Formats: sequence, structure tokens, C-alpha cells
Amino acid sequence: MFGWTGKLLHVDLTRGTCERREIPTEILHAYLGGRGLGVRLMRDFFRLDPFDPEMPIIFAVGPLCGTNSPTAARLACVSRSPLTGTIYDCSAGGRFAWRLKAAGLDAVFITGQSDRPVFLAIDGARTELLPAGALWGKGVKETVASLKERGSVTAIGPAGENGVLFANIMMGEGNSIGRGGLGAVMGGKRLKAITVQGEGTTPVADRERFEAARGDVMRLFRASPVIFGELGISEYGTPALVDLMAQRRMAPTENFRATFFADSGNYSGPAIKRECGAKKEGCYGCPIQCKKASAQGEALPEYETVNHFGALNGISDLHAIVRANSLCNELGMDTISAAATLSAFGEARGRFPDPTEVATLLADIACRRGEGELLSLGSRRAAEHLGRREVSMSVKSLELPAYDPRGAYGMALAYATSNRGGCHLRAYPISHEILRKPVPTDRFSFSGKARIIKIAEDVNAAVDSLVACKFAFFGATLEEYGELLTAVTGVEYGPELLKTIGERIYLTERFYNCENGFSRADDTLPERFFTEPGSGGEGIDVPPVDRERFSEELQKYYRIRGLDENGSFGGRNILEEIP
Amino acid sequence: MRDQIDKYMGKLLADRSACPDGIAFAAQDDVLITAGAPGLAELAGNTLSRLNSLALVAARPSLPFADFLIARTDAEEECIVPQDTETRTFLHDIPFLRQKDLSGDPAPVLAKLLGNRKGVIVEGVGIVAVGAITVEQAFINYSSVFHSTFVKYLQDVLADGFRLPGEREAFEAFRSQWLRPLSAAGLDFVPSLPGDKEAILAEIERVGRYTVERGLVDSFFGNISAVAGELIYISQTAASLDELKGCIDPVPADNSSTTGITASSELLAHRKIYEQTGSRVILHGHPKFAVVMSMLCDRKKECSIKDCWKDCPHVRDLGGTPVVAGEIGAGGLAKRVPPVIGASGSAIVYGHGVFTLGREGFGEAFATMVDVENFCREEYFRRVEEML
Repeated sequence: MFGWTGKLLHVDLTRGTCERREIPTEILHAYLGGRGLGVRLMRDFFRLDPFDPEMPIIFAVGPLCGTNSPTAARLACVSRSPLTGTIYDCSAGGRFAWRLKAAGLDAVFITGQSDRPVFLAIDGARTELLPAGALWGKGVKETVASLKERGSVTAIGPAGENGVLFANIMMGEGNSIGRGGLGAVMGGKRLKAITVQGEGTTPVADRERFEAARGDVMRLFRASPVIFGELGISEYGTPALVDLMAQRRMAPTENFRATFFADSGNYSGPAIKRECGAKKEGCYGCPIQCKKASAQGEALPEYETVNHFGALNGISDLHAIVRANSLCNELGMDTISAAATLSAFGEARGRFPDPTEVATLLADIACRRGEGELLSLGSRRAAEHLGRREVSMSVKSLELPAYDPRGAYGMALAYATSNRGGCHLRAYPISHEILRKPVPTDRFSFSGKARIIKIAEDVNAAVDSLVACKFAFFGATLEEYGELLTAVTGVEYGPELLKTIGERIYLTERFYNCENGFSRADDTLPERFFTEPGSGGEGIDVPPVDRERFSEELQKYYRIRGLDENGSFGGRNILEEIP
Repeated sequence: MRDQIDKYMGKLLADRSACPDGIAFAAQDDVLITAGAPGLAELAGNTLSRLNSLALVAARPSLPFADFLIARTDAEEECIVPQDTETRTFLHDIPFLRQKDLSGDPAPVLAKLLGNRKGVIVEGVGIVAVGAITVEQAFINYSSVFHSTFVKYLQDVLADGFRLPGEREAFEAFRSQWLRPLSAAGLDFVPSLPGDKEAILAEIERVGRYTVERGLVDSFFGNISAVAGELIYISQTAASLDELKGCIDPVPADNSSTTGITASSELLAHRKIYEQTGSRVILHGHPKFAVVMSMLCDRKKECSIKDCWKDCPHVRDLGGTPVVAGEIGAGGLAKRVPPVIGASGSAIVYGHGVFTLGREGFGEAFATMVDVENFCREEYFRRVEEML
């Protein structure tokens, strides 16, 4: 078999067993890998509580991993989110994914709960569960340093150990499996870390076709101003978006009460480069290298993080923002949810935290002490506890990232329809509404957006299953990645077939969510966006989102998806209709 | 979406790439709609309904070049491989369906082909192109296929002459009837571009519109800029040159702001041209004859370079305009054009398009582009006559 290994490592932490199992070829062909494979493997478990010991947590690579397909050294981590209650996946890059494939695995399926802290060590065909008592309570850096001799490391920090609902799983090279709290799921299993090394290679079915497709992808990367342009993400990282979002008047500010922060220039891409000596870093094997590190090697914050620890909390001090980012990474917490929860807390009590208090509160959240105990539950639960449900700027309990939906109506719809809650990456309409890729669309119009969002959700589900980085699609398309996939696997995949696979994955996720009680009532935005305007200026008006048009477009979306008016399947069991 | 269909149907009529009675669109949101020539509209609808895309155009090109290209291919071939940079970069190749292989409803097989590529030629029917997320995208892809087949056919005629019945007559009709004299006559330009923002934006918008109206681009792509003090005003990526209002980015020369991340992919080339020439404005289009002629090279037989479009280190000459290789964006064009463009005020990029300069305003840049294209047009027909 080309592209896939056909093997899954099944780990039962309760019994302390590890065994390699076959993955049916037809499942690999139908779901590819990564997110798709993980979602498919959840079929018998999606109803379990996220903290049920039997709830699996799955790490899955894709068929392109292990080749030099651009941006494809990635994996998806899949489980059920304790923060949102939805099915959950997160894509992460780095050497870990590459080595997992090199160890001969398409996926690691971890279930059960250990009675003591352990870490999973994978070294080629050899697998062990080893004591991690000495590591329990340690930060991410120390944990990774302790285990680095065993290869690539992914680990949780104190936040994951303590069950913070937005705890991350941190990759040793600085990437993170973020947002939905899968670090807490891992912590609940008393699994501190996974190490992996392997020497295997991924054979390519048609090398000549592969090189041609790779050349096409790279040509499109070079033609994309967002990727390799002199003001693009390769040069400045995602903070290249700070100035643009400010200019477009859609940078969430002071818990989304405003959409413009006058001091955002303090943490723009050029400012970070100047003040922190930002140098290029990135995921293993990725030509874009959009991550940035300081001259001292410290990971520098992404766009979402600088905006949320900046404008969202009224903080303009770049170095304070960098410190907050580093602290979250060390404690193993999601920066978007952490900053947004602090912001909601700030609005509820009438005062946003200053930089010093931010650091204190982050540590308290990770350790679940003092006010941190409440804030560790995320903004929705914290706001409800405070009697101020309206200050949680979240969808399905997932805190919204740094694109105000009043400034991009496709984004507004996509937040609502996202299967994992308020996430920008499911449909990523910022690509066309703001960055003009592949073609521009009118950001202040709902026209056509239901269909566009549906298509983009399908496309991105396929992308997350290849697994490739979404930033690659600021230049390339499924046409070129379909060619890469065909060349690697020897199985013909074109863009339309990949979209069909993406649709299958998306509907499966939606079905899981509906079975767990999600419906139309959850597919909406916080009330603020329908009633309060954003910060207009420089000829740009940012009115509230038109509730009626939003609802109309949502119903269109349901019809396009084949759902009923409630956004549900109307008694249909789609799992019986798909592989 | 009906307004979008009307808009792009109008653009196909205006640029004369499609026959007025042979244009149809289909688009789908929660319902499928079609418009235009009935037979083609039915085909468009039946095809789009099988695709996970938003829009589709099916139109009969105003020139028979695409059909000729199919008829000139060997029986076992299934696609045309364009040589020009723009279409190769974005289309890769263009599949086709032969008339003899069409039986019954062609929509299923057409949908299958469009499931892999942006545009398809159906012999005797027309060009069918899909727009994944907008109607505009379908229009762009149609235009790209039209441009690509135009360029390739002219190249092939120059290389191999006429091979089919009716080709010579069609070619003559194209030359005498379809082509129109190209000039800058009747266009107004600000002689010396002032420094204030509003005046600059207005002039860029106007010249962008001229560039499309005079057919100096494929669909509406190209880019345009002016420098004023420490700012470069440049059209945004994927912007319609004939609709630039609100689509021009002011980019600081010192990169102190990244709002220009949405600027044209040729921002770097523009910046370096300004640095090396001291010019005031830059115009970049894709005039067809310049694209065709830029790919002619007398040394191809003895040259070891295969990917001429990106690897050729030589500076060739077309009527006093230098011709250089280089990929678009960050791929080399920005290195090779700036050093050569200053002397003549123009440069042609192999298989791609033309850059021209204006020292005071766009009048000079526009006139230079017209001159370059007219020279290439005349030279092309001179060579065709010589060859035949």
C-alpha cells in the first residue's frame, strides 16, 4: 500500500495494553486520514462523556505525511470536547506527525484511564507505557526536555492535568493541539505525554507525477501575496493580519464591544519583527515557515493571540502579550479561550485585567485556584455562574477568535454552523471575504454565503484529513493537492471526490452533535452581534448583523446540507448510508 | 445571484470572447437557477447540479480556435497543455470532449471532467467553466481558457501552419473582422499625476478600466500602481481592473504596515521597478500577441533549458522591448524585470505579459503598452505570412 501504513496503535490505559491493529483499506480510502479517520473511528464512542474513561483520544496522520508534500507533516487529534460537548478535532504540525508515520502508524487510538501518571513511548515497532509520576505537575518545557531523547514529544501541562476545559496538548516543537480542551481529556486519562520515533519511509506510487504536482503547488505558493508576498505570513507570521483587521474595522476589542483598537500597531507584524527580532520558524518540512520565534528562540504569538491578549483585554504592551502567550504555552492552555475568558470576566466585573493580573490569573486557571477555578471552565460557564451569560462571546461554548462577525457575514454564518463551535477555521471565509483568495466576495453581504460556507466546510474537512495546512490554500487548491494525493497513493482523487469525502466527514460530525442534543438553537451568535454596531470609521460602517438575513441564510444552509428546519436529520441515520 | 449572472454575461459580451447568442450560466444556492441560451443553459444546469460548486458558464467562443486545437491533436490526446505562464499556473491543462464521443446527455461526463479541472472544451459546443464559490470565478475560468486557447492556437499556426479545412478562412476572418485596431486614441489621462490620494485613486481606477476595455488583459487581470512620496498605491490581488474602486492598497515603502497583504502578487516587482527607474506609474497587462511572441525563441533547438518560462537567463528583444523569463509573484519576475525595464519603459515577461512605465502619468505607460502589443501583432502576422 502506498501513502498509508494501514496500521493503528490501540492503547488501553486501563489495562495497560498496546497492540497494533489493521485499519480496513476501504475506510482509509473513504476518510483519508487525520480528521476524517479520527471522526470515523469515533463512531462507537461519540455519545460518551468527554471524561468517560472509555472515551478515546485519537491521533491520526494522513496519507501525505512522510512525503515532502508541502505543509503535510501534520496530524489531527480527535475526541469529544469537554468545553463544547461537540465532536472535536484539531490539526497540528510538526515533527511528531512525521515520526508517527515513520513508526509505521496511521493513527494512535487511546482509551481507558491509567491508575497513575504514565507516558506512551513509541519507538518503531516497540511501544511501552512508562511511569510519568516524576513529570506530573511539570510545565511543558521541562516535560519535553526530559523526554526529548525518546524522539518527538507531545505533552500536557498543568492545565491538562487539572482538567482546565480549554487545556491544550502541546507539541514539543511549539505547535499545539488547541481550542477544545483535549489536553483535559488526556489529563483525565493520566497520560502526561507521548514520545515517538521511527525510521520508516512513506513510499510514493508515482514519483514523476508527485514532483510535477509539488512543483504546481510551490508555484502557486510563490504567486500568492498572502503566503510568500513581502507583506505575507511567511515574512511576518499571522500577525501580518493585525494591520489589515484594524483597517477593515473588525478587530475584536474589549470583549467585542468594539471592533477597532487604536494601539494595535504596537503588536502588528512589523512591530513584532522589530521589537522581538522575530525570525522564521515553522512546522517540520513546511516551506512557508509562518511561525515566528524571538532571537532567544521563544515562540512568538499568532494573530489570534496578540489580538485577544491585546485589544480584547485593552492591553497595548507587546511584551506583556508575548509573556501571556509563553505562559499559556508553558501551562498548556489555549490562548484564544484563555484571553477571551479573561475578557468576559473583565466585562462582567467592570474592569479588564492589566498585564500583571493576566499573568496571575493564567497561573490560577491552570492550577484551578482562587478565581481561576471558575475561569478554568471557559467563558460560557463562568459567565453563567456570574449571572452574566451575555458576556460570553462564544458559540457552542467555544470562544470566538479574532474576526468580528459584524465585519464579515460569511464568517458570522460559519461561526454558527461550525461543528466544533465558534471557530474560524472550519470554513475559513476570511480567505475570500478579507484576503481575496481564491476570489474576493462581498464581506457585508449574505448573498451566496450559505452555499459558499457549505462548500468550504467540505473542502476544509478534506484538507484536515490529508492532512495539510489551511494556509496552503491561500495559494493552492484541491486540484493540486488531489494530484499530490493521487501520486502518493496511486488512487485517483480529484477535487470533486475530495469534496465528497469532506461532506461525508462533515455530516458525520453534525450527526454526532445532533445525537448529543445540538440543534438550530445552538447555531447562533451571541446577542451582542445582532444588536450593537462595531466601530465604524474611515468610510466603513459596521452595523449589527441583520438577524432576519442571518436566519434566512442559515435555513438555506440547512436545505443545502439536506437538514431539516431544526438543523437536524429528521430521524435519518446517515451512519447507515456511509462507509 | 441573478444580478451576478447578468453582470458577467455583460462582461462576456463586452470583451467579445463569446457569441452573443451562445452564452449561458447556472448558479446554485439552495436552488439551482439558469439563464441564457436555452440549450446551453440546460447543459449548464445539468452539469452544475452534479458538482459541489456554486456557478458554471457554458458559452460558445467567438473564435473557433478551441475547436481547431482539438481537431489538430492526435486521436489519443485528451487535453490541451497551455504554454503561457498564467494559464499553466492556474489551469495546468485543459481537458476536452470530442464531438464524436458525445452521446446522450453530456452533463455526467462533463461534470466528471470539471470535478478535476476549472474548464473544459466541448468540441462543437463551447467552453464550459466552473466557479467553485462565485459566478465571477466561472467567468474568470472561461476567460482563462479562452485566452489560453487563443494564445496556443496562434503559436501552433506559426509553428505548423494550417492543417484543417476552413482554418485559413477562419484565420483571415479573425484577422480582418474580429481584431480591431488597437490605440490609445480617445482616452483621457492626467498628464502629470498629482500627489493627492483621491486624484491618484481616481486615475488608477480610470486607467484600469481602459486597460480592460481595450483588451489588454485576459478576463480582467493585470495590475497597476502609482507611487507618491513614501506610498505605493497598487491594485489588490484578484481585483477587476475595470472595477478598482475600493480595491487599491496604499503600501508604505518601508513596510511599516502590512495592510498591503492584499496587494497584487506583483507588489515586489513594482517596488523594485520604482527603486531602479524612478518612474511614477506602472501598468501591467496580458496583451495576447505580446504573450504569443514572447514565447518565440530562435535558440530553442540548441538550448538545453527546458523550462524557458522560468529558467531562461537571456534578455531577448521584441521591437526594442526586452523579454525576460520569470515566474509570477515571488518567483523570479521581480528580479529580472526591474533591471531591464528602465531604458525602453517596457518589458515583456516570457509567456506572461507586459510591464510599462510612465515618468509623469499613465498616458505614457498606456501608449507604450499599446505600442508593444501593436508591434507584436504586426510582427506575428508578418511571420505568419513569411512562413506560409
